This record gives sequence, C-alpha cells and structure tokens, in this order.
Amino acid sequence: MNDFTQQIQDIASRLLDNGQVDVFIAWHKGQQDFQVQPYFARSADEAQNIIFNDYSIHNLSNSLLKFRDSKEKIGIVVKGCDSRGIIRLLEDNQIQRERLYIVGICCPGMKDPLQAMRDELGFNHKPESTELAAKCNDCIQPNPVIYDELLGTEQSPRVQDRFARVKEIEAMSADERYQFFEETISRCIRCYACREVCVACDCRTCIFDEMRPQWVGRENNTTDNLMYHIVKASHMAGRCIECGECERVCPVNIPLMLLNQKVIKDVNELFGPYEAGMQYVEGQKPPFSMYEESDPDDFL
Amino acid sequence: MKILNKSKLEEVLNRLGENADVYVPMSKGLQSGFYPWKSLEGGKDELMLDALNVYQPPKSVVFPQTERMYSLYQEGKGLKIEETYENDEPRVIFGARACDIKGIICMDEVFLTGGYEESFYKARRESTTIVANACYEPGPSCFCAAMGVDPLNPEGADVIIRDTGDAYIWEALTEKGEALSSTIKDLLEEKELSVPEAKPFIQQVDYDGVAEKLKGMFEHPIWDRTSEACLNCGICTYICPSCYCFDIQVKMYGHEGYRFRCWDSCMYEEYTREAGGGNPRPTGRERFRNRFLHKLEFFTERYGHPLCTGCGRCIVVCPAGINITSIISEAKEADLDA
Repeated sequence: MNDFTQQIQDIASRLLDNGQVDVFIAWHKGQQDFQVQPYFARSADEAQNIIFNDYSIHNLSNSLLKFRDSKEKIGIVVKGCDSRGIIRLLEDNQIQRERLYIVGICCPGMKDPLQAMRDELGFNHKPESTELAAKCNDCIQPNPVIYDELLGTEQSPRVQDRFARVKEIEAMSADERYQFFEETISRCIRCYACREVCVACDCRTCIFDEMRPQWVGRENNTTDNLMYHIVKASHMAGRCIECGECERVCPVNIPLMLLNQKVIKDVNELFGPYEAGMQYVEGQKPPFSMYEESDPDDFL
Repeated sequence: MKILNKSKLEEVLNRLGENADVYVPMSKGLQSGFYPWKSLEGGKDELMLDALNVYQPPKSVVFPQTERMYSLYQEGKGLKIEETYENDEPRVIFGARACDIKGIICMDEVFLTGGYEESFYKARRESTTIVANACYEPGPSCFCAAMGVDPLNPEGADVIIRDTGDAYIWEALTEKGEALSSTIKDLLEEKELSVPEAKPFIQQVDYDGVAEKLKGMFEHPIWDRTSEACLNCGICTYICPSCYCFDIQVKMYGHEGYRFRCWDSCMYEEYTREAGGGNPRPTGRERFRNRFLHKLEFFTERYGHPLCTGCGRCIVVCPAGINITSIISEAKEADLDA
C-alpha cells in the first residue's frame, strides 16, 4: 500500500507540475490512520500529502460532479468499482474524457474507516470491524475498467454468490418481505447520505428536493421513507455500479445494496445481459435511457 | 450518600417506567441510540450505560424528527384547527452524557428564551426529567471540556449518577430529580463510595478566541479547501445533539389534513431555496461554511457559548472524514490576510 502512495504522489506531482492537470483527486490522512479523507491536490507540493492505505475506500468518481461545470483538467485515482462510476458519468455527458487523467488501482480490497471510527472511538459495545469492508467481499470488479495508467497487479473478484442476499428475500412470503422492509426502512433518518455519495445520482435537481410538486413527503415515517427508497432504487436501474458506498455510509445500517442488487438482477434478466459502466463505448446509453422494440412490456 | 446498586438497575428502570416513558442508551443490532426501555428485547438488545456514548443522541426525545402539530379542515374559505398535539406526557432520559444534555440546553435557549416560547417544544421539555451519567473517561474523539461542558457535573441534569463499578452514586439536584428519587427510594441504599478518578482528554482543542476571529473570516479561503471533501449529506446535522433546524409543512387530503414539523438540514440545497428560485447558499461551500459559522460563531455571539458540545459524533459518522476539531484549529491558525 505504501508503494501505491509513493507511485500516486509521483504521478500527481508530474501531472500537476507539467500542467497536464489542474487538480488531482486522491486521499490524505486525517487525525488517525483510519481517518482517511478525499483530497484535492492543486500543486506538486500538495501532492506530497497524498496517501493510499487500507482505508482509501471512498469512491472518488463522485467528486467529478463538482467539476462538471468547470473546464479544469482532473487527475483522479480509482479502484475497480470506482472506475465504473467514471464510465457512468461519461455516458451521461457529465464530464469529458479528454479532461481526465485516470490512475487505476487493481484493488486488493479495502477496510471501512467508518467501522473503525465506531469501534475505536467508543460508540460500539462490541467491535464490528472486519478484515475487509463488507462491500469489498461482494466485489465483482476489483480491476479498473478505464484508465490512463494502471498500478498493481490484477486481482480476482471476491464475490461468492452475487445475489445471495436478494435470493433470501425473494424466498420470503409477501408478508415477511413487507415486515422486513418496514423494519429496516423505518430506521431511515433521511440524511440523504446514500444519495450524496452515489455516483449514479447525477441529476442537477433531485426529485426528492423538488417542491412543486413535492413528489415525496418529508415526514419521517414508514410511508414517506418507503417512498424515498423505492423511488431511489428504481432510479438506480441500469445505473448502479455496485460500489456499495450507499450502504457503507448509511448511519442506520439500511441494506441499500439489497435493493440495488434486486434491481440489477431484474434489469439483467429483462433487458440484459447488462452491467452498468463496465465498458466505455462512446454514445452508449444504459437500458432505461433508450427504447428498443424488443424491450419487454408484459406489464403494460 | 445515596447509591444505586447495579443489580437493582432493571428494577429501577421498570419502576420509573410505570409513570413515564423511559429512554435509555441501548444497542439494537448495529444501531445504538436512546430508545424506550420498554422496547428492550432480551438476547437481542443491550443497555449501553457503560459505553462512552451511543450513536443517536437523546435530542429526539424532546425534539422528534417528525412531530404533528395540529390537524385542520377547510370550511368555506376558512380553516378550522381541529386538534393540537402538544405532548406533555412524562418522560425520563436516563443515562445521558453531559455533552448530550448541553445539546438540549442549547435547544432550550433557542425555543424557550428571547421573548418567545415554542409551545410544542415546551410541553415535551417540561415533562422531561434528565438523569445524567457523569463521564470520567473521555473517548479519543471527545472534546466537550474545550467547548465549555463539564463532563463530571453535567449542567441541566435533574439527577446525576456516577459509575463506581458495582454501583452508581445517585445525586438528585432539582425538584424533578427529588420527585424521581422518591419513587425509587426503597431501591436506593445509603452507603459511602468514593467517586472515580477522571481521566485526561486525548483530543486537544483550543476554541479560545475562535468565535471572535471567525467574524472576520466569512470570505476567507479556508472554506474553499475545508469544504471540498464534504458531500453535503445531512448525517452530521441529524446525528448532532444540538442541531435544531426544522421545517414546517402541511399534508392535505382533500379538505382535511395536518401541519407537521420535521428536522431540516442546512446541508441541503432546498433549505435556503427561496420562493422566487434564488438561493443565497448555492453550493456546498456556502452550506458547509454556514454550518461551522453557526456552530462556532453566530450561536456564541447570541448565547455566549458554542452550538457544538464536543461529543465527537460528527467526526465518527462523516463519510468524507470531516473533523470539526480540525476546522477549529485551522480557523485558530488561519492568516486573516490570506
């Protein structure tokens, strides 16, 4: 990992020095080792603050949205899953390929800084930290799918049974399922961290922020919370790149990837085979951004 | 002195629960927060009085995330208020830390002083008795003392309990506290115990002069850089023991409906959106700046102490690793001519 730190620092210094990029997005260290924070280096000097360690888990591709209206050229570090986010943004015309210098890292799996924070800072009764972050055990794509420079050696996917959790829920009776979702989703505090951290959420005005009309009520109750999550999950159809950030950052442990994976599974079965952001082909659109005669319409 | 033997704790909580809703620090699976004692499921949930703190503060006991205010119906051209829902049922917050109670004091100042009393908050607040759990061992992210909070003698407590190992020292401080003690007096014992020794703070924060200095830092470049990683989600505001911003909305079904209050967050774009479409805080930078200036400058100017109580929760939960203590020290060290 220290190896990556040095290599990324060198690349960032070079690019910032020769003016190939205006800003380089990576990580720097906070107060504790596990407190790693997204970092925006703007000079070769600042590039020396960059680190890459076990906790550099954040999907930085989401940060590109901050630059969608600027002309700045951007260097960025991505792991396998994060790189799929860049493809999503390119497909949605949120950023231009020629503005990016992508440093890809073949990802050995990360640890979750939020888990470590809760464990180390006294907010947990029993330690919850695991060897790898939960989302990394479900990894289907550890190697970057788009890059200008690649670091590390190719890694194998870690997922055992990709839709295991979805199948468990599908096997429940309708009542059991309702009870399950009522219980988990009533916990939601509507902080919208799952939306803000999501690279697939690139709408300029989100449906949940609209006031005229107000599509989803602001009360924190099962009805409005369910509405929020059902609408959000449907909007992810064909767009979720399975980086798992939504579920990781959720402060109340809602299994958000369960919903997203159900939608991924359905899109795959109905409109597939399809995997969001796996391969960049100019002009390519996700299934729900276009229409084909052969699209299933049995439900109409 | 009065002491409460830990073996009698359950009995005490059951007794208090006969006359009031009792909220205790509890873990429910991976969740932790102040939940009703009655909701504790044996084998699944655990009382967390001996932990540093729980994830969700007791703020929602006096200031629920969603609170129905009144129901109404339309009559001709007018509206009739059918029922108001001021809730003054007795409740007890049991085992809160000084930082979290200070958060409630901040809300008291906002909702109950300045010449106007907010009746919905007042009803809940006045019917609440607070049993504080004195804090002798600050965690690595704790900095309450730096924000003017005394962890050993929590301000605003009706009763203070002090953990001595097998028993708590029980000190009633107010009339409400005495009333609570009298309902469990057969469960308390008379015994002399020595108070635990207070451990030093690990996190060092120097807030002296920061509020004053921030007055001149509205346009300082510090905000460009510190706000960069922020996602503008609302976790920090919703998990904060003192953040009190809210919105009031109406839900109508035909001719009848109700008005409710719900938490809102200065991190959201919609929060400052104006009717004409303008927005004085158009980007994340302005929203981020507002949050910290409100906590560290504006509130101190108005009430004499910051709106941050040093509980450290926002540091623990932030998906982007933003640390309020770093913001305080950056402000402290900032060059005003930059």
